Parts: sequence; structure tokens; C-alpha cells
Amino acid sequence: MTEIENKKRSLSGIQKTIIILWLSFVMAGIATGVFFSAIDPDALSACVTFPEVSRMGAYTIGFLLFWLLTAASSFITKYFLNS
Amino acid sequence: MSKVDRQLDDDVAKSLYAKHQKIYPREVHGKFARLRVLAVVVLLGLFYGLPWLQWDGRQAVLFDLPARKFYIFGITLWPQDFIFLAFLLIMAALALFFFTTLAGRLWCGYACPQTVWTEVFLWIEHAIEGDRQQQMKLDKSPMSANKFRIKLTKHAAWILFAAFTGFTFVAYFTPLRDLAHRLFTFDLSAWEAFWIFFYGFATYGNAGWMREQVCLHMCPYARFQSAMFDKDTLIVAYDEKRGEPRGPRKRNLDYEAEGLGACINCTMCVQVCPTGIDIRDGLQYECIGCSACIDVCDDVMDKMGYEKGLIKYTTQNTVEGNPTKVLRPRIVIYALILLTFASAFIYTLAVRVPLQLDVMRDRNTLFRETNEGQIENVYTLKLVNMDENDHEFNLSAEGIEGLEMKLEQEKILVKGGKVLDLPVRLRADEADLKERSSTVYFQLNAVDDEKLNVKEEARFIGPRK
Ligand code: SF4
Ligand code: SF4
Repeated sequence: MTEIENKKRSLSGIQKTIIILWLSFVMAGIATGVFFSAIDPDALSACVTFPEVSRMGAYTIGFLLFWLLTAASSFITKYFLNS
Repeated sequence: MSKVDRQLDDDVAKSLYAKHQKIYPREVHGKFARLRVLAVVVLLGLFYGLPWLQWDGRQAVLFDLPARKFYIFGITLWPQDFIFLAFLLIMAALALFFFTTLAGRLWCGYACPQTVWTEVFLWIEHAIEGDRQQQMKLDKSPMSANKFRIKLTKHAAWILFAAFTGFTFVAYFTPLRDLAHRLFTFDLSAWEAFWIFFYGFATYGNAGWMREQVCLHMCPYARFQSAMFDKDTLIVAYDEKRGEPRGPRKRNLDYEAEGLGACINCTMCVQVCPTGIDIRDGLQYECIGCSACIDVCDDVMDKMGYEKGLIKYTTQNTVEGNPTKVLRPRIVIYALILLTFASAFIYTLAVRVPLQLDVMRDRNTLFRETNEGQIENVYTLKLVNMDENDHEFNLSAEGIEGLEMKLEQEKILVKGGKVLDLPVRLRADEADLKERSSTVYFQLNAVDDEKLNVKEEARFIGPRK
């Protein structure tokens, strides 16, 4: 499939940003699934003091934190590979 | 301004100036287009329909995240059943490998949510803005009251549809009837509102605005699917030998005598392509194998009175004049692994006992000597009744001669889908303990269902020998 591989793709900065956000979104989704099927947020708040949140809230916050983490890691990698 | 900032500015500028050309895919009719409509109707029908289905007085398919239980028709899965989810994911990945090797980007062309939702957004756009020519004309014309009205209608329709999509998505995770009720009484929780908005926005953005950009730049599958291709994989290809040299001609001309190929260069295949490529340039990674160009080219060939199939589903080997093999090692191996996982999955699901017993030893004291001189260990048993019905249980313990079990309650009753913490004391004579730490077994049986039973190991600790 040489035609496929030979094609040079150049991407704009916005496109790269979107790719990073999207892929880290997928990864964060998987991580959230694995994490919260092992750990019940209600049990978690029994040992650490959290402000009162529902389970739905805990899942959402957990997901967003994972997303922050995966996206940050990708952005840093991209930055170092470029410089 | 630092170098980084300038670089950033450059990037922004580049992406603003080299603005991507909007693609206006022309509507297609034909064999494969019908197949895709069917796929869209079935898949989206399932997606939007399933949450409305009831089963045994509850939603048939519900991933009840707040309650940490998954309901799939007659089955209730607990977080302990995570293995099934893992199984399903592995099977889905394997199936994707298998079908990609066999039939190329079948997934992309007919089943990917990106394709399916984009198709619906295109229908809406077509219904409101008219066909390809009308859409292009409208976009070129200066803003007017009329243009504004048409655009507004389109986006309103898109947003409405996307919002309904987001709502349906959330209804998989929290019961639909409640959710609908709370939606209309403006009583949604912040999290529900957030996810409805988030999923709706993603649908609107991806299917309305990004479209083929998602396939070209964002999709991981599109990037690694070429690794699964071999020369026997089904691809969409243009028959260059037959088509070239291309050129316009009169309808009844004997083109072969004129030295022309079968391609009349009408560019219809380019106009229908959702990713805006020309399939006549050869196989390209942008091609999602949607076969729109096959349909439209067959139409053209028909009108010209030529044989169909100038663009068709074929394989690299056929194109090169070699025989195509369907059964090749790769295919067989993928199929075997897939089959193994599927059988294992069905087997584990079939023998799954919806009952769990966790034993925790009392953390504070290892053991205690009773007034009668026996050694006593204290445990907390956690009984998880993962069945939907209430059950009464019998508990017994064994493993040491003359082991005695003391319960604080007479009947052990656990409601359907509930957990019971049960303190239990075991007593044994010191003379019967062979070691400092012996193995004991708790056996839990449902009174009304002999299949519902579990055995759990625990430690019984005595004085040092
Ligand atoms: S390239 Fe990716 S996003 Fe596009 S249709 Fe295929 S799988 Fe879907
Ligand atoms: S080249 Fe043909 S099959 Fe490939 S994406 Fe375009 S229209 Fe679809």
C-alpha cells in the first residue's frame, strides 16, 4: 500500500490540538471505566474527605481529571518532540 | 514575543488562511447507498429505541452508574463482573481486526457512528438547503435575510437532533423516564445536564462541522487500519486499464476505436466522495470505502450503455491480475481467536453465580479465648445478592474438627440486589488446631435455589504452637 504511506500529511496547530484532545479523551474514557469499576467513589470518600458529591458527580470529575492528565502528557510529549 | 508564541501564532495563521475547503458530497442512489440507509436506520433505531424498552418493570438496557449496576435484559452485572466488560471489549477489537482484513473499511463505510450520524446530518442539510448545487450557491451568495433564515433553520434542526442524541446517550446511564420527567420540570442534576450538553455538542460538531476531518485527522482506527490490509483485502478501486485514457465523448461513439478508455471524465465520483478525493488516483488513505463512487459510476456506465464496474469492490491481487484468496492464515487466526473468546465469554456468563461472599477477619484481635476455654475468631461476612430476587441463605463453616459457628441472627435474608454485612464467630478447641493458622471454609447456600451457592476460604488463627 505504498500510495497510502507515501502521502505526506501536514497538519495545522489547531488540527494537532484537536487530535491530542480527542485521543486523550478516548484514553481517559477507558481509564475512568477501569478505575471506577474497581473503586466505588462512595467508598473513596469514606477514607478521604471530599466535599459532598453524588456518584455521578464523582464519575464526571474523575473523568475530567483523567482527561486533564492524558491530555497534559500528550501535549508535553508533543512539545518535547518538537523542540 | 517568544519563539514559542510566534510559532503558535504562525500555526494559527496557517490554519486560518489555508482554510479547509468545505466538501459538498452529492447525493447518491444505488445498491450500496440503500445498504447504508439500511445500516443507518437499524443502528440509529437501536441507539434511540433501546432506552425506551422495558423489561420486568425496569429499563431493559441500563448502565446504572449511580447505583453501580448494569442491566442488560435479564442479566444484572455488578462491578465485580468487570471481566465481562473486558471480554466484550477484546471481542469487539478482534472482530474489527477480522473484518478489516477481510473487507477493508467496511466499518467506516457503514457502521461507524461518525459515518452514521454524518449521514443523518447530511439528510437534514439536504432537506433544508437543497441539493449540492443549491448548497454551493447558497454558501457563495452574500448574507441576506433569506440565507440567514435557511442557515438558522438548518442549525436549529441540527441542534435539536443533537440534543435529542445527547439526551438518549445519558438515558443509557440513568433511567430514561425519570430523566425525561426531570428534563421537562427543569430538575436535571448538573452532571446530567453537563453530559447531555457534552454529547450533543460533540455530535453537532463532529457530524455537522468536522465530518471527513474526523476520519482524516482524528480517528485512530483510520491510522492503523492499513496495517491490517493485505493484497486480498476488499477495497474500492478504479479499473485503470479499462478506464484510461479518460475523456469526454458522444454517447454512441465507438470509444475504443478512438483510443479512449471507459472513463468519460464526468467527475461524478469526485463529487459524491465524502472525503473529497479522486479514486482514479489510486488507493488513498482518505478513502473510507463508502462505495458512493461505485454507485454513481455504475449509474453513469448504465446511461452510456457501458458495462458496470469501472469502479468496484475488488482486491489488490485482482487488480494486479492475480487470484484472490479469501481463506488466508491471518483470517483463520483472527477467526479462531475470536471464536475462543466468544466461547469463553458465553461459558463464563452461563456458569456465573449471582452471589458473592467476601470474608473479612476482625482486624483488632487475632483470636480470643472464651470462658469455656475455646479459641474464637471473629469475621465479618459480606453477602452480595447479585440476583434480582430476595433469597434466604444457609451458612455453614468447616475445616477444623468440631468447629462451631455462632450467628447473631437466626435467618439470613438478603434482598435482591442488596449487600448484607454479617458478623460471624467461629469457635474450636485448641486441641483440634494442628497449626497456628488453619484454613476454614464458609459455605453459603440459597434455601430456594441450590445452584445459588458459593464457598469462600478464610484463615482461623490460634495460639502459637
Ligand atoms: S475513518 Fe474513523 S471516523 Fe471515519 S468512518 Fe472510519 S472509523 Fe469512522
Ligand atoms: S473514493 Fe469512493 S469509496 Fe472512497 S471515500 Fe470516496 S466515494 Fe467513498
